[in-house]
Amino acid sequence: MTAAALFQSALASLPEIVVISGACILLILGQLLGKGRQHFLVWASVAIVLIAAVATLMLAGEVRPAYTGMFVADRFAVFFKFVFYLATILTFLLSRKYGEIEGIGSSEYYVLLLFTLSGMMIMASATDLLSIYVGLELMVLCTYVLTGFLRQERRSNEAALKYVILGAVSTGIFLYGVSLVYGLTGTTQLDAMAAVVTGDPLDPGLLLAVVFIVAGLVFKVGAVPFHMWLPDVYEGAPTTITAFMSVGPKAAGFAVILRVFLNPLVAASEVWIIVAVIAVVTMALGSFVALVQDNFKRLLAYSSIAHAGFAIFGVVAGGADGIASVMLYLLIYSLMTLGIFGIVIMMRNGDFSGEVIEDYAGLSKSHPGLALLMLLYLFSLAGIPPTAGFFGKFYVLVALVERGFVMLAVIAVLLSAVAAYFYIRIVMVIYMREPERVFDPALTPSARATLAFTAVGTLGIGLFPAWFLRLAQVSVFGG
Amino acid sequence: MTFPLLSLIVFLPVAGAAVLVFLRNDDAVRWTALSVTVLDLALCIAMLAGFDTTTHEMQFTERRPWVPALGITYALGIDGISALFVFLTALLGLICVLASWVAIDRKVKAFMVSLLVMQALMLGVFCALDLFLFYVLWEAMLIPMYLIIGVWGGDGRVYAAFKFFLYTLAGSLLFLIGVIVLYFNGGETFDILALTAQDLPFRVQSWLFFAFLVAFAVKVPMVPVHTWLPDAHVQAPTAGSIILAGVLLKMGAYGFLRFSLPMLPEASMYYSTLMLSLSALAIVYGGLLALAQDDLKKLVAYSSISHMGFVTLGIFALNLRGLEGAILQMFNHGVTTGALFLFVGLIYERTHTRSIADYGGLMKAAPVYTAFLALFTLSSMALPGTNSFIGELLVLSGGFAASLAAGSAAVFGALLGAAYLLGMYGRVALGPASVGGRYKMRDVNAREMAAILPLAVLVIWVGLYPRPFLDVMDVSVKHLLTHVQSKGSGQ
Repeated sequence: MTAAALFQSALASLPEIVVISGACILLILGQLLGKGRQHFLVWASVAIVLIAAVATLMLAGEVRPAYTGMFVADRFAVFFKFVFYLATILTFLLSRKYGEIEGIGSSEYYVLLLFTLSGMMIMASATDLLSIYVGLELMVLCTYVLTGFLRQERRSNEAALKYVILGAVSTGIFLYGVSLVYGLTGTTQLDAMAAVVTGDPLDPGLLLAVVFIVAGLVFKVGAVPFHMWLPDVYEGAPTTITAFMSVGPKAAGFAVILRVFLNPLVAASEVWIIVAVIAVVTMALGSFVALVQDNFKRLLAYSSIAHAGFAIFGVVAGGADGIASVMLYLLIYSLMTLGIFGIVIMMRNGDFSGEVIEDYAGLSKSHPGLALLMLLYLFSLAGIPPTAGFFGKFYVLVALVERGFVMLAVIAVLLSAVAAYFYIRIVMVIYMREPERVFDPALTPSARATLAFTAVGTLGIGLFPAWFLRLAQVSVFGG
Repeated sequence: MTFPLLSLIVFLPVAGAAVLVFLRNDDAVRWTALSVTVLDLALCIAMLAGFDTTTHEMQFTERRPWVPALGITYALGIDGISALFVFLTALLGLICVLASWVAIDRKVKAFMVSLLVMQALMLGVFCALDLFLFYVLWEAMLIPMYLIIGVWGGDGRVYAAFKFFLYTLAGSLLFLIGVIVLYFNGGETFDILALTAQDLPFRVQSWLFFAFLVAFAVKVPMVPVHTWLPDAHVQAPTAGSIILAGVLLKMGAYGFLRFSLPMLPEASMYYSTLMLSLSALAIVYGGLLALAQDDLKKLVAYSSISHMGFVTLGIFALNLRGLEGAILQMFNHGVTTGALFLFVGLIYERTHTRSIADYGGLMKAAPVYTAFLALFTLSSMALPGTNSFIGELLVLSGGFAASLAAGSAAVFGALLGAAYLLGMYGRVALGPASVGGRYKMRDVNAREMAAILPLAVLVIWVGLYPRPFLDVMDVSVKHLLTHVQSKGSGQ
């Protein structure tokens, strides 16, 4: 590697470098400053992400391959990185008050989130199975720790332990798949793999390898049959981390899935049948199990499984529209999910946990504005127009029908009708029950800002989707 | 670019709702909502005054790109088929505000906002010339309607609201897939006029016909997917019932007229027998169920099923009289059934019972009320001289031309109608007074009169001189019929 190539590579990965060095500086500063400097930590972390965002935007003009084909800075990565920035910044804003209430506002919390962000960014840009692995591990190792951050709580410890064990197994499976691919093709680079295999794509060895890789990746987005960890982890983790995990790492998982699955080699191996089955089963399980949940966080966990299933339908569709539909869906999903989690997080105040759905009875009476926002997010999650959630689903369906998968589209909409039930049940609790308690949400300015931003996004993309649709379409790699 | 009159009509209620949000006083909220709906109705009348009845082309059209990448436009326009419904929606919107004046006493602001948003969406549905826009508005109606039933409804409102929501949603979602399939088969456009001009293969038409049928049949509602209707009607507040019966049910039939017939002419002709049978079933079954009801609202709700059966019968008779009768009957049903729900609401406000058995001899206690009740009851059973007579007569003559059996069933249904409606009226208004002693009964006041009068005028006007109403739709219906027959006979 020459100096010039190294410089180009460093330039292409500038946003990652910014985030990682920022996190390291913050780690040291956090130790020097001592406790009680929450304010500074939040704004410093937000500033780091914003600098990275500016760097990303400056590099967005052209495709920059880097590190001898391990890494690329293209528009596809840029799109995902902005979803990650969005998720991270909103999580920081929500964490301030919540961190104080739960006593988890140490500098490590913010530093770990930044490291998670860098892992996700590497995943979005990785074009080699090994660099994917590095990003993936960086991300999940940090989220293991964050899950267990409520050190005094059994639930949190249990969740972290479960997550570590299952996560490690899935990573092992993924690595095994990678080693098989290397043995068969002599390379781990996504592009080179496709070039090497010119013969029968249904070679059993290769198929086995693909299945292992699929299994490893599907675990990260919480699709069936690798979803068992998700509800427990979501319930046990601090709510801010749950919000973050249901958006950021999930989107990162999808970034990798899109890159890997739509690689010509994998696309030729008819793996889409497996993926289609996974999509149907995932959505069905998420939707049906969510029907009987009483805990808000668990319900949102199953809802996120169902949404992952819907996004996988977009992966099945493939093609430029399929990829763009998944990307747009993830952006919209991030906004509405962070919005609803934002409210759950700010309800956590005093001795009110905000985790039981029934506890929200009659919220509309004392807090009509907050109730209206919940209504917006919930109908968006259910996919009712004119919210963004509808347009996201609509575009996935368009991509499916375009490829002739009409039956899959029908299954997808019928399952989303099932899912609509548990969202409107929450609306019912909020609007159609009499209040049983006095609500005292922690309405801090930063939490308000988060809600305003996500609400504008959820309604704005729904009413004026054209610009966002184009953004997703031009960000599709190769197109 | 001409003056965007339709956009103004559609968005005025939304603007009004936005103003309401900032008001604190309940009375201010009521008066503002009233003035918005009055203004909206005035605009609609102005629109009708400028309506050209000599062309089937869309009028007052507006077209703006919305999502160009998918060929989605924001396109509005009306023709002879939709013009009457725009007017009806605006009129009933006004009446709903009047009907909720004292009936809604908590969360008044939220209620009026829901009502105005609902009105905007309904107006938009009838004006939409883009399938995507149509679908967005069609489905978005679920949100305010769910709240209107669920928050301000009766004791079983939560169950009724869920049932309404899920039935309609499940139906609409299949329609959505149909829309997307149509998009790819019809040259990647959502333009309703362009899609109407397409010739689709029969196989595709058949699938789409059933996908559309599910959505529209739930809305109409046709037997056997009608079970949400009695629950929703009974539990909804008066204004909700008026909207449901007056406008929402029309949307299913409007869907047949705007999409199934012109876009899928071959399938519509091929399956017309099936549709006629379902319509006949609805007429008779709805009538029989109505005969057995003791609850006033339930009786009117089941009579709606029967009356909407007449509408679908007229549509799928696929001849001029049938179609014109169906459209006129849709309008009439909106007026008459809207009025009947209003009357049930008025008396429920006074007595807090809807059971027919609790009433009797109302004529003595409230003579004006019972006189108007008589008018609307007679209108509902299609007595000559009232609006429904003209509509039902046209439907029957069209129905008999299409199928003797279906026509006969419809006549039987009309007889049933006379039985349950006269029976209801007799038990409520005539006989010894049982209510007067137990409840403090007062006759209609000026506000209630203001809600009743326009509907009464329409009942008699259409009954005696239906020309202007038929003229509005005539050219468009003839064009539609020629289109269906020329394209549909290709099989």
